Amino acid sequence: MDIWPQLLDGFTIALTLQNLMWALVGVTLGTAVGVLPGVGPAVTVALLLPITTKVDASGALIMFAGVYYGAMYGGSTTSILLNTPGESATIITALEGNQMARKGRAGPALATSAIGSFIAGTIATIGLTFLSPVVVELGLKFGPPEYFALMIVAFTTVSSVLGDSSLRGITSLFLGLAIGLVGIDNQTGQARFALGVPQLLDGIEVVTIAVGLFAVGETMYFASKMNQVQEKLEAISGSIWMKAEDWKRSWKPWIRGTLIGFPFGSIPAGGAEIPTFLSYAIEKKLAKNPEEFGHGAIEGVAGPEAANNASSTGAMVPLLTLGLPTSATAAIMLSAFQQYGLQPGPLLFETNSALVWGLIASFYVGNVMLLVLNLPMVGLWVKLLAIPKPQLYAGILVFATMGVYGMRQSPFDVFLLYAIGVAGFLMRRFGFPTAPVVVGMILGPLAEEQMRRALAISQGSPAIFVTHPISAGLLAVAVAVVLAPWLWRRFGPGSRPA
Amino acid sequence: MIQPRPKGQIAVSVGVLVLGMLVLAGGWDLSTGGGYAQVGPGVMPRIVGTVLLLLGAMLLREALTGGFHGVDEEAEVRIPMDWKAFAWITAGIFLYGFLVERAGFIIASTLLFAAVARSFASRRWLSNLLVGLALGAFIFAVFNYGLGLNLPAGVLGPVLP
Repeated sequence: MDIWPQLLDGFTIALTLQNLMWALVGVTLGTAVGVLPGVGPAVTVALLLPITTKVDASGALIMFAGVYYGAMYGGSTTSILLNTPGESATIITALEGNQMARKGRAGPALATSAIGSFIAGTIATIGLTFLSPVVVELGLKFGPPEYFALMIVAFTTVSSVLGDSSLRGITSLFLGLAIGLVGIDNQTGQARFALGVPQLLDGIEVVTIAVGLFAVGETMYFASKMNQVQEKLEAISGSIWMKAEDWKRSWKPWIRGTLIGFPFGSIPAGGAEIPTFLSYAIEKKLAKNPEEFGHGAIEGVAGPEAANNASSTGAMVPLLTLGLPTSATAAIMLSAFQQYGLQPGPLLFETNSALVWGLIASFYVGNVMLLVLNLPMVGLWVKLLAIPKPQLYAGILVFATMGVYGMRQSPFDVFLLYAIGVAGFLMRRFGFPTAPVVVGMILGPLAEEQMRRALAISQGSPAIFVTHPISAGLLAVAVAVVLAPWLWRRFGPGSRPA
Repeated sequence: MIQPRPKGQIAVSVGVLVLGMLVLAGGWDLSTGGGYAQVGPGVMPRIVGTVLLLLGAMLLREALTGGFHGVDEEAEVRIPMDWKAFAWITAGIFLYGFLVERAGFIIASTLLFAAVARSFASRRWLSNLLVGLALGAFIFAVFNYGLGLNLPAGVLGPVLP
């Protein structure tokens, strides 16, 4: 595949006035929800899904992607100034960046994370541009057994990597798979788990699940468990620009962070936390003054922020080329594609090449917009943090219920939303990760379809999954991912005798 | 000192077990064969249900032997659960579900806003109701007049343009 003409075509689509506007709306919204605690990109994209009936596919997808990577930029602002990570991937930034802010160096911390995010986002987009066609070539050789095995890998990595217990992660995943079963089986037309409720025949909407778990559940948790905790907002004092020394200390961590983050995002591994932790550890090891780490070392902000951004862009590789989402937001974007009757995967690059390349080109544009939005205009976003919590969460719930009710104009969905919110609250309270639920419910039906197709080819013999070498290899990886943490606990250093 | 029997964790594990049973029971009548694939609509429910049972049992074992791995249940229990806050959110969403088509979107949203704000211990009822009203009316206007969608006007129907 020749990349340059395709990418140029992509730019002619991304640079139309209309699509520039969608990109701007997306990255602006993304930055806003990234900054605001209590609402993230997954909920936002879910709530915006209904616009797929009004807007053309490229516009809507460009906007959704903008929300996705824009939230990564915004999340760092909250972490630095408030020490509450807005996104799980910015825990490290909260650690080091907040220390800088307390020492009156909030400006350089914000600047290094914005510029680092820009550099990482841009390099990762270049990576996406050149890696995608390669993966597409590979993907075209895949049949149903390979796809099924690949999805199993995605399941295991998403549930074992996100959250600190693989047992609870896998439970979350299977909860999602169970939710995905509800509705009409798309191969035989039989109703499953509809309990005679007509609203359940179409299945449970991903909007309801995402909004219930991430918005309602979080609100319940914060209202009843966290409202006692006091937070302190650090002010931005002094210049926001970095000094020459800050630049000197930042540029290498940016590059290293990008190189760590992009591969982690682009293999279906899920989660931007791991690369940020890795980047932090490496910067600390390489630093001339490691004792400064934990007390506001700029390298500890620059590296992890770059890693975070690069991995979120990297996550677009498996989504676009193989149709594999590795995060909740990516899973919801997948369902946005489905709303248009499109299935991301290698064939999409042939049948809808203009759409895909337009989307990829929009990442270059969006990153430039985000640099402007987050550097000179950072003061504007900080004002969002001044919204008092009661009114902030009240507003979030008004939007959440509106989105879920408005989807089908059915009060039933509002009560379902409440039930899922309670489930989300319980999961949060007992340490179950919520993202695998969303990935499971979206990817589950697709995996089932591939499994049944594969078995149709082999006339019912499950041996097909192990006799095909690629599929067998992938399944071996999946088994290793599940067993690794368990083996590590049992036999690794620091294991306690049973 | 670790709690010997963390009640919440035991309940959650049992919940997973029950869910597994429900999935198995609900999928029991679905055929497992048929078609070229020899895999009917009943296969996935059986797999998912069985694995959920297995996971529930493993969780229960963790709960009974020192608690879930990597969870500081002690610290969680030490933060008291604010049931009143939880009840306010519950009331807000239920009210919304009952009222959105009867009283209309704007009134339902206003009450939901005030109830959630109250759950975060804000007692400025009047200003919260007013902000909720403004937000509800704004969303209503954008959707119904701007995007041509139909959020229910309810009892305010006669006075809205």
